[in-house]
Amino acid sequence: MAVNYVPSTLDEALLLRKDRKAIPLAGGTDIMVQGKRGLGLAPQLDRPVMIISHLKDELGGIRKDEDGSVVIGAIATAAEIASSDIVPWHVRMAASGMGAIALRNSATIGGNIGNASPKGDLPQPLILLDAEVVLISFDGERRMLLDDFIKGSKTTDLHDDEIIASIVIPPHEFTYSYYRKIGMRKANAISKLSLSAAATIKDGLVVDFRASSGAAGPKVIRSREAESMIIRRPVEDIEGIVPDFLEAWDHAISPHAMPRYRRNTTSRMLTRFLEAIVNGEPEGIVR
Amino acid sequence: MHRQIEFRVNGNKVVYSGDPLTRLVDVLRDDLRLTGVKEGCGEGECGACSIIKDGRLVTSCIIPVGACLGSDILTIEGIRDTEKGRCIVEAFRDGGAVQCGFCIPGMVMAAYVLLSSNPAPTDEEIRVAISGNICRCTGYDLIVESIRLAAERGGALWQ
Repeated sequence: MAVNYVPSTLDEALLLRKDRKAIPLAGGTDIMVQGKRGLGLAPQLDRPVMIISHLKDELGGIRKDEDGSVVIGAIATAAEIASSDIVPWHVRMAASGMGAIALRNSATIGGNIGNASPKGDLPQPLILLDAEVVLISFDGERRMLLDDFIKGSKTTDLHDDEIIASIVIPPHEFTYSYYRKIGMRKANAISKLSLSAAATIKDGLVVDFRASSGAAGPKVIRSREAESMIIRRPVEDIEGIVPDFLEAWDHAISPHAMPRYRRNTTSRMLTRFLEAIVNGEPEGIVR
Repeated sequence: MHRQIEFRVNGNKVVYSGDPLTRLVDVLRDDLRLTGVKEGCGEGECGACSIIKDGRLVTSCIIPVGACLGSDILTIEGIRDTEKGRCIVEAFRDGGAVQCGFCIPGMVMAAYVLLSSNPAPTDEEIRVAISGNICRCTGYDLIVESIRLAAERGGALWQ
């Protein structure tokens, strides 16, 4: 039976990670369910678990750096993220739609990323925003794009001796923003499909355009190829590009269950967002 | 390394020295005999095991006791004899909110957190506040009305 730990310091946690390959637990909302054995029994996993929820000084908090980047500590909860006024809108929207209140008070951003479920709520907007993940170990620190870190369904590039320390979101300014999560119910629902999109228009030119699809493949999907069909094109050309763009995006996603529903609904959400650009709707949130 | 987990439950100091991955709901029910805390789904979905940890509503079935280091935990037993707790319990009774009763301790905890931060919630805000608490008797309307009654009756109590 695996022995579980509560390290007193981050150094102790990094040592446990290195020596015992202990699984870090901050909120527990995924791990406690994965190891569930029923009434009166402590969950059990195939490796030791180390509880790090109290290491707030080292792994918590949300701050804005001088360059405008927002740094979210790995054990910041969905509730903290949803109520922060420095966290970008797309990420706040996703955090506020995770589970219900009690879950948001426990679930952390590091856990949501580390679990790497294609239906996870936070990776989708973070990948839209080119967020980077900061990984620490006894040997130092490395940083990589979250899109590269999450390799597929439930698989990441996390090394056995590493801990997710924080997530860094570079600054951005969008003319139009879109976020939609579709679930079975308004609250307490796992994402059936989600989409974020953003665009920046300058002097009649689309200078930035991006989208990310959640629950539409083994990982969050961003198609730079499809995005590049719209970037640096004049707004008046967009209407004519829409059919080819939608086809390219449809090609990029790979939903395995209910594919027709997911493809059709993704197309409709993208169409709505592009329509706002084409029509020159007032700046801000596209609904 | 913390070999013992020290925290407070309803104002009393608790020292736990078993497996830190033990579910908080089991410590509360089996070790501390606080059986007002109910377990429904065991997956954090139904809200029956809701308790208040450091002022925030959480589901105790998916919280390991090791994550409660230094925490202040409140269960239904810790609030039911307080003025605020009585206000909610009496409103639930008078408003006919209770059918089988299994979800009620969790509902009361959710209502307590809501009214403590929002003394005069709208019906929509009440529904959002209990959106993680499932009532299989489906008596939601009477529960929402009873929380509104607790807000009205409590008045300054919740300010």
